[in-house]
Amino acid sequence: MRSKAPFRRTLLGLAVIGLVSLAAVPAFAGSAVGDTAPAFKLTAMDGKTYSLAELKGKTVVLEWANPNCPVSSRHTREKTMIELSKQYGEVVWLGINSTSSNSGDYMKPADELAWNQKNGIAYPVLADPTGAIGHAYGAKTTPHMFIIDKDGKIAYNGAIDDDPPGRKARAERVNYVGHGIDAEKAGKSPDPASTRPYGCSVKY
Amino acid sequence: MTAPRIAFLSAIAAVALTLLAPRPARGAAGEWSVNDQSKVRLITAWKVAPKSGEMWMGLQFALSPGWHVYWKNSGDAGFPPAVTFQPADVLGKPELLWPTPSRFNLPGDLVAFGYEREVIYPVRAEIKPKPAAAPTPPGGEQAAAGDTRPGDTMTITADLDYLVCEVDCVPHRCTLTVEQPVGDPPEADREMAQLLQGYLDRLPRNVTEVAGVTTGAVLDASRPAAPELEIRVLGARAEAGKTDLFLETQDALDAGRPRMKVTPDGLVFHVPMKPRETNKPLPARTPVAWTISNLLAKDGHSFSLEARRDVDVWSRGGPPAAGAGDGEPAAAPGRLARLLLSALLGGALLNLMPPVLALLLAELLVLRAGAGEGSGRVREGAAAATTGIVGAAWGLAALALAAHRSGLPAGWGAQLQEPMLGAVLAVALAVLALNLWGVIEVPLALTSPANAAVGTGRHLLAGLFTTPLALACPVPLLDEPLGYALTRGPVAVAAFFAVVGFGLALPYLLLTVLPAAVRALPAPGSWTPRLREGLGFLAGGGTFWALYALAHQVSPEGLAGIELALLALALLAWLRHRQGSGRALRTLFALGLLACAVGIPWLAGHNRVQKTPTTATTQLNPGG
Repeated sequence: MRSKAPFRRTLLGLAVIGLVSLAAVPAFAGSAVGDTAPAFKLTAMDGKTYSLAELKGKTVVLEWANPNCPVSSRHTREKTMIELSKQYGEVVWLGINSTSSNSGDYMKPADELAWNQKNGIAYPVLADPTGAIGHAYGAKTTPHMFIIDKDGKIAYNGAIDDDPPGRKARAERVNYVGHGIDAEKAGKSPDPASTRPYGCSVKY
Repeated sequence: MTAPRIAFLSAIAAVALTLLAPRPARGAAGEWSVNDQSKVRLITAWKVAPKSGEMWMGLQFALSPGWHVYWKNSGDAGFPPAVTFQPADVLGKPELLWPTPSRFNLPGDLVAFGYEREVIYPVRAEIKPKPAAAPTPPGGEQAAAGDTRPGDTMTITADLDYLVCEVDCVPHRCTLTVEQPVGDPPEADREMAQLLQGYLDRLPRNVTEVAGVTTGAVLDASRPAAPELEIRVLGARAEAGKTDLFLETQDALDAGRPRMKVTPDGLVFHVPMKPRETNKPLPARTPVAWTISNLLAKDGHSFSLEARRDVDVWSRGGPPAAGAGDGEPAAAPGRLARLLLSALLGGALLNLMPPVLALLLAELLVLRAGAGEGSGRVREGAAAATTGIVGAAWGLAALALAAHRSGLPAGWGAQLQEPMLGAVLAVALAVLALNLWGVIEVPLALTSPANAAVGTGRHLLAGLFTTPLALACPVPLLDEPLGYALTRGPVAVAAFFAVVGFGLALPYLLLTVLPAAVRALPAPGSWTPRLREGLGFLAGGGTFWALYALAHQVSPEGLAGIELALLALALLAWLRHRQGSGRALRTLFALGLLACAVGIPWLAGHNRVQKTPTTATTQLNPGG
């Protein structure tokens, strides 16, 4: 009796392993245009909590940000997102910082709040230090932009504009997010709905 | 003063001024634009450039260690350099060319494609003769400074924006200048031309230019949410651990990590793809461009390949028409079963590898000795060994996942590309050999083989020890299932390692079911210790194999250090084992032994040969 137990356990183990290997997980994560936007509930740098569920019915823009990324901070200096978020006051504009607390780029919420205030970022920036929400959306760069439509679906996924090095004059750049919000307001889908984001890698 | 004298003096003054003034770079190479992460300059292949026709230039980057600049597809982050050249009316729109890149793994499973240390982006321009519409009046003034008229000197400027990244990124903007004499006859600058040539040689060759090599692709979209791109190469071999696939950017699809498989007539890559917009159906054909690095031609020379195709998209129900592609569908039914069988067989085969075989035979001897106490004893021991093997296999699964995440090579046997793991193996094999020779008493089952009172725990330990030993043995059967599992995530990896573990434990599993089978082995006798000592040589041979693998990974000095430390380890073990040593001395020897065992992986880690020994530096000086 005693000696049979290990054998049975071995068989059971084999069966379990056979089952789990069939349930192989998908190739890679991230959200595509048309997918339901992954839910989140995150705390902003000022301590307030924001959840996507509460924003249903509103157009939401997510901006992956990192004050220590020169590409993000160029746009802060040029006020690309700051002015766009003011221009479209009716959309909810949220920054998200997925920098890991192990990264040299990590800033404590209070420090980041102070930096944002000093540099004119008035919209909330949410902290995602575990990177869970960044991975759920497939955020790759700072900046990386998403537009979530009123139905909670991802309507745009990609870059802020068509000028990665920032060579062109502001007026000559195609601002994909601005165009996307315009399309949403007109009841259409953004075109293009997806572009290649550019910038520093998100410091997961 | 006479007029000639004034002319003479002013000429001297002009020369002096020229010498004293900061010298603008003339010909061939401009000044470096320097920052903390990188420096960059514009070079041309000419001391005197031709008045018309093809003109070669280059953007030469030298990067601080760890920093990289980007390929035309920068990967998940970054962006490629952007440059505009002046005078546009002479140079037209010069074309930036892209040498074959390397892959950089970033935290969060992100990847970048680019160049580290040093790169020259070759630039091809077509010099247009100045339109003859406004001819200089005869006897008129000479061309003013800055004029770009051929026959004189033209100022070539490159307005460059680039991003240089380590994990952090810094954007830079600069204007690079070369004062380029132009004339007839043109004169090449040998040094710069050679520098450029080195990187022209690193451009991938278009597949149409390579005799005997073909490549093709198909996008298997039978699972619309997770299409898979299959790219085949026929007529070339892969260079172990170096061959890699780089896809150019695509509008509709994001690409995952490619996995490579060697086929009898070439190689095949499978790349998981992800549609960027779920609501947009994929077209019947989609343009795909790819570069494959480090291929070996039939004559053994290494090259990289570039191809650009309109690729057929297979939707649900397989290929759209007969003969549309030359490959099987990537995710054929029954593939999973075949992969699992490969893993099981591969695991079982590992038992025949010398170091594993040594341990297995020694362990069987112990089980045989215990047979006298009844089948329960054998069954218990064998089950314990099985548990140990599979348990250790799961530990390895966790390691393999971590290695995969951090971008280390994770193929079966590929762990030997990580010197510290190779060193751990060398130590483990040496300890096993010494153990079998009876010089070291590690609490493995083998220490007192004749003694039947060997606990289950010791069998468990022997099992735990078996799996890492098996890692040292490359079994080709395991590569494909492991590659497949790694792209499917942690659960699949755990399952794969468990199946390999069960394959490896097959002899013990057999004894768990049929304990009586152990009696088929000869009963222990006076020959058993001698056999055990003989098996020690098998394990010792394994140490040599591990050292051989290490020879490619660490500096010669590092390897010498490792070998000395191994020798010291053996010496201390022997001294400690000798009769007559006092207690204090034995403790001292044991401490020394431990220090050696820990020091060897440390030595390997600190003497590792820098990765990516690209041929760039050798190509820069083709003559020498």
